[in-house]
Amino acid sequence: MTAPLLEVRALSTGYGRTPVLHDISIELGQHRRIGLIGPNGHGKTTLLRAISGLIAPWSGDILLGGTSIVGAQPAQIVAEGLVHVAQANALFPHMTVQENLRLGAYNKRARAKSDETLERVYELFPALRERRRQECRTLSGGERQMVSIGAALMAQPEILMLDEPTLGLSPKLKKELCSAIERICESGVPTIVVEQDINFMLRLTDYFYLINQGQVTAEFHADQSLDNRQIMDMYLGLD
Amino acid sequence: MDWIDSILAAAQPILVSGIVLASLYALMATGLALVWNTLGIFNFSHGVFMTLGAYIAWQFADARGYGLGLSIGIAISVAALAGLGVLFNRLLIAPFLGRKDIVLVAVMTTLAGAFFLENSALLTWGPRIKQLERILPGNIKLMGTAISLHEFLIIVLAPLVLLALWAFLKWTRPGSAIRAVGQNRDSALLLGIRVNAIYALTFAISAALAGGAGVLLGAIRFITPTMGTEPLLKAFIVVILGGLGSFGGTIVSAYLVGFMEAISTFFFGAYWTQAVMFGLFIVILVVLPRGLKGRD
Repeated sequence: MTAPLLEVRALSTGYGRTPVLHDISIELGQHRRIGLIGPNGHGKTTLLRAISGLIAPWSGDILLGGTSIVGAQPAQIVAEGLVHVAQANALFPHMTVQENLRLGAYNKRARAKSDETLERVYELFPALRERRRQECRTLSGGERQMVSIGAALMAQPEILMLDEPTLGLSPKLKKELCSAIERICESGVPTIVVEQDINFMLRLTDYFYLINQGQVTAEFHADQSLDNRQIMDMYLGLD
Repeated sequence: MDWIDSILAAAQPILVSGIVLASLYALMATGLALVWNTLGIFNFSHGVFMTLGAYIAWQFADARGYGLGLSIGIAISVAALAGLGVLFNRLLIAPFLGRKDIVLVAVMTTLAGAFFLENSALLTWGPRIKQLERILPGNIKLMGTAISLHEFLIIVLAPLVLLALWAFLKWTRPGSAIRAVGQNRDSALLLGIRVNAIYALTFAISAALAGGAGVLLGAIRFITPTMGTEPLLKAFIVVILGGLGSFGGTIVSAYLVGFMEAISTFFFGAYWTQAVMFGLFIVILVVLPRGLKGRD
């Protein structure tokens, strides 16, 4: 049996001395599109930050294709193809859209294909092509989010982690962004998505974990005929 | 209208001496600003980097040192300073990165480093003043004012060096990485940029610029262990006045400060110039709290 693409085993970590995650385990492999839901402030973002090497685990293990990446530098993890789009990320505000995107292809693996991928990103987000010479700080929230996702695609992800990609966007922009994200997911890149919009999440993922108080308190197949209310009940601990 | 004539007569020498000062400040201040923009710390060793640049060049170039000639002395000096920058970053900054009080810690560690190097320079080269040979001998008349060709070279060289630095930051991969790290460290990490390597590179470039400024200044002023102190102070004024975070603002501000200093020296004398400079500095910051082109 081959190892899962990504496996988090009994991971605990936090900030300073404050614990956030307790013995959390998730797996990406059998299900290639997984989702994390749960109330704000319960550790979803922290989990992604630990996976991408921004914060060190206190205990437990993170395995990428069966090999532990605990202690690896973020740059090494990106070079392995695990790419993380952070929440409400403005990337580099005083650089142009195109400069931001080009920086996505910073790692060696991505550099060779950077022209080709840039073209693909512009096809996915035509608004960015128009604004390619504009500084990022002049963009709207939705356009910035497109730049963040575009830069992640430039890095040639083999696994893509998206942290609340539609946070704070207007319904119209959100729809546009959602369809772009669906196209990315359907293109076959395995994804881990954190999202508050449960309907969007159900379309986007095969399997999802409910994270509460830094632990996985439930996990589901997206095709289990759950309705919104049942999920909301679990979300709020009413079940 | 005698006073108009006298001002007009004074304008040319003021302009010339201002532009020489400004060029040196621009070189010093850009290095300081580069480290501030990228790492978010002020490097108080920047002045002593300048001093060491002059001493090391003298050591290799001068007949009383190793006598290898000026060009070899300059090349070794600039390379050595780049190496020293990397070392300082490794020893004095890198161990404390990620701390919330990094700005204050860096003030203390880089001040300590500055004292250490200043006294090392005193022990190594002694208190006797030294001077570097001029890169170009002879004089030239510029706008009716005679200046040395060396000073003329400073005026021409500084903008070229700054232009090269700008092009490097704008058009090359490591250059964009330096800007990216300064604007958003976490995102840079998540895109696979080796942030610690970028910090080391930034320090190397900054220290090499200071060393280069030392080499240029060491031929028109005397080389002493404290020769970098005053330029460091001026570079601070320039960077803050220009607006933190703005490369263009720093350069504009360097030329402004250079000219203001020349004007003040001419009318009030060197003795009052420091006071006048800081007075103007305070006034400008009251009117424009973020400096000329500051960012958040």
